[in-house]
Amino acid sequence: MMPAWALAILWLTVAVSPSATDRARRLGERLKCMCGCNQILTECNHVGCTVSARMLQELNERVARNESDDLTLQSFVQEYGPEVTIVPKTQGFDLTAWVMPGVALAAGTALVVWLLTRWRRGPTVAEAGAVQERHLAQARRETED
Amino acid sequence: MNLIGSYALLLALVTAAYAFAGGIAGIRSRNPLLLSSARRAALALFPLVSLAVAALLYAFLRDDFSLAYVAEHSSRDLPVMYKLAALWSGQEGSLLFWTWLLTAYLFAVLWVNRGRHPELMPYVGTIVAGVSVFFLLLNNFAAQPFNLLAQPMASGGLQILRPADGRGLNPLLQYPEMVGHPPLLYLGYTGFTIPFAFALGALLARYPGEKWIHLTRRWVMLAWAFLTAGILGGAHWAYAVLGWGGYWAWDPVENASLMPWLTGTAFLHSVMMQEKRGMLRVWNVWLIFASFLLSVFGTFLTRSGVVSSVHAFAQSSIGPWFVAFIVLVLGVCTWAFVKNRDYLRSDHRLDSLLSRESSFLFNNLILLAAAFAVLWGTLFPVISEAVQGTKISVGPPFFNRVNVPIGLFLLFLTGVGPLLAWRRTSWSSLKKNFGWPVLGALVTGVGAWVAGFRAFYSLICLMLAAFVTLTIAGEFYRGARVIRGRTQTSFLSALGTLALRNTRRYGGYIVHFGIVLIFIGLSGAAFNQDRQADLPPGSKMQIGPYTLVAQTLTSEPGPNYTAEQATIEVFRNGRSMLMLYPARRFYTASQVTETMVAIYSTLRHDLYVVYAGRNPENDQPVIHAYLNPLVKWIWLGGVVVLLGTILAMLPGAAPASAKPAGTATAEAAAALTEAGTPR
Repeated sequence: MMPAWALAILWLTVAVSPSATDRARRLGERLKCMCGCNQILTECNHVGCTVSARMLQELNERVARNESDDLTLQSFVQEYGPEVTIVPKTQGFDLTAWVMPGVALAAGTALVVWLLTRWRRGPTVAEAGAVQERHLAQARRETED
Repeated sequence: MNLIGSYALLLALVTAAYAFAGGIAGIRSRNPLLLSSARRAALALFPLVSLAVAALLYAFLRDDFSLAYVAEHSSRDLPVMYKLAALWSGQEGSLLFWTWLLTAYLFAVLWVNRGRHPELMPYVGTIVAGVSVFFLLLNNFAAQPFNLLAQPMASGGLQILRPADGRGLNPLLQYPEMVGHPPLLYLGYTGFTIPFAFALGALLARYPGEKWIHLTRRWVMLAWAFLTAGILGGAHWAYAVLGWGGYWAWDPVENASLMPWLTGTAFLHSVMMQEKRGMLRVWNVWLIFASFLLSVFGTFLTRSGVVSSVHAFAQSSIGPWFVAFIVLVLGVCTWAFVKNRDYLRSDHRLDSLLSRESSFLFNNLILLAAAFAVLWGTLFPVISEAVQGTKISVGPPFFNRVNVPIGLFLLFLTGVGPLLAWRRTSWSSLKKNFGWPVLGALVTGVGAWVAGFRAFYSLICLMLAAFVTLTIAGEFYRGARVIRGRTQTSFLSALGTLALRNTRRYGGYIVHFGIVLIFIGLSGAAFNQDRQADLPPGSKMQIGPYTLVAQTLTSEPGPNYTAEQATIEVFRNGRSMLMLYPARRFYTASQVTETMVAIYSTLRHDLYVVYAGRNPENDQPVIHAYLNPLVKWIWLGGVVVLLGTILAMLPGAAPASAKPAGTATAEAAAALTEAGTPR
């Protein structure tokens, strides 16, 4: 007979971990149907698509065997190639996919802050000339046509 | 007719080449006769390309299957509406359609500005004619719509084939929105050519001041409105036709339409900095260059097959043509900028960090960051293949994770920006303007939390939506109150007067409100539910508050298909509400089966029912039902955005106490004096 503490751990594991269906769905959302439709595996709706049916069945079996997420995804990569996953990894060159938008935003923010600080110092002589040119242009515009 | 079409296209190419070369020669020599003849040649392009379009449409309507394009994209039993829409359903026809829209824009811009702006318009006409040369080269040599179906004979000649019927239109495209979505999108893409031509022309001509901005404002808004309508139309089409329960899949082709929309939106905001303060001249010129280039880049992505896409119906090997064109345009833009950059010297002076100017800069930063993130994610598979030798896929989880926070920050700025004053905003006015909106956002957050709306981003989105809505409402309220005080009219009438007096400003607020509605709709995606079950007649399934009871499964004939249609009765709280008819259609010409989704849409949620076919194990009909909250808000938001854009494009009505003519010049002179005064 199973001791009470083991039962408690089992209950906690079952209660805390997501259900197998949820896990399969979550993993399925990181994979692509390889029938050529380019849709997410769990969203492939082609009538009679045998590829997504086979892939989903394989996914469910792996989740039922309690394979880890990494192992499951890796198995799919080995079987279907790297294109099967639709979320770039967070290591190696794939990491740049995640990093670059943040880097661009940070660089842009730094540029905007620098510009704002610079512009707050007031116009240079050349810029004052530009002010004059602008108002002259405005006057020209409003007297033309 | 195919000969007429072919010759019309060839003549159009020669005419465009003349308009382009003659325009350049006329500008350089300042020869008015040459300029005038180049202008007339540019005007002649529209009727010539129209003739080619008419010839192709005639071939579709007459079922002339000797034309390869007609045989490939139509069939005798195709309804007339889709025979017309088949014009843009494939590579050759859609490029011809693109050229037609481009020449229509060229005709319109030259006609509207006839006899005006003699220094600038020759540049505009020449630049658009140059772009037309590129597309006409494609129409004549790379993607010819008038090719005949032929096979070589033993004698060495070619035998023209006339199949009895065509292969039919792609069933996915046989949906009413297919008639509207691509033209709207193309009108948006091609529309950016006009402001691009004005910007490049003004730079090359060193045209004084901000005039090109004034001249192009409505053209930019028109292109932006068409692109917005095209994007939303495409989203609705994907939602209603593809049957996977969603409206946006971050497909490369969807992304391609979003990128110029983002840069175009940035331009519509930053251009105000140039108009009001003479700032950001370089930035604005490059933003409109980028919008145009991204439009062409989107077309390249759609057709080259360089990235995998569900939009695989128009791929070919014309990619190198587009790459060459993009490189050439980029080169010309860079050369013009380097040559005349001193002309773009700006008046940069910022009175306070807490000002409208700062908020516009951040707004532009965020929009550009979003555009970059979309571009980066879209191209990453190609970059990865070049660097690592393996092509990976980048899908919705990446785009959502990167773009959702950016989008929410943008929504926040949508509320903040309009309430900051130009030049300087005091802390007291900030407190006054933002007090109620912040309180409203907090109350909304608490209410949504209590109501079970607990997905983090969705909750933040709802709070920001309340914040922005209240800031917009506050602006309308304060303005209308002032007018009511002056004119003693009703509040509603004052609101109308307010909106019509400054159409640009209040149209803009309405656009912002539409964007808020769209964001509310998007926030519902976190709570989507779906269920799939075998549902033979008489059995039922439950999803959310609805009980679906299968009634019948029948075969229904259509004009060019046979449909297998399920009849589902929908019950709520035990009461019958409506019948839904999801179906599968088998198209005889193309031998393809497609799903037809049945949707019951309310403001609260959409009940979205798909007949997924028969279960191969037991031959029972399979029903896949989705409950998608708040989707309708997206389409409503789109309508509001378009209404706001129309209002913003209208000329503002002058107030009763309008200043006499010449005052603006006096103000300019006063400002000149003021500019020389130390602050």
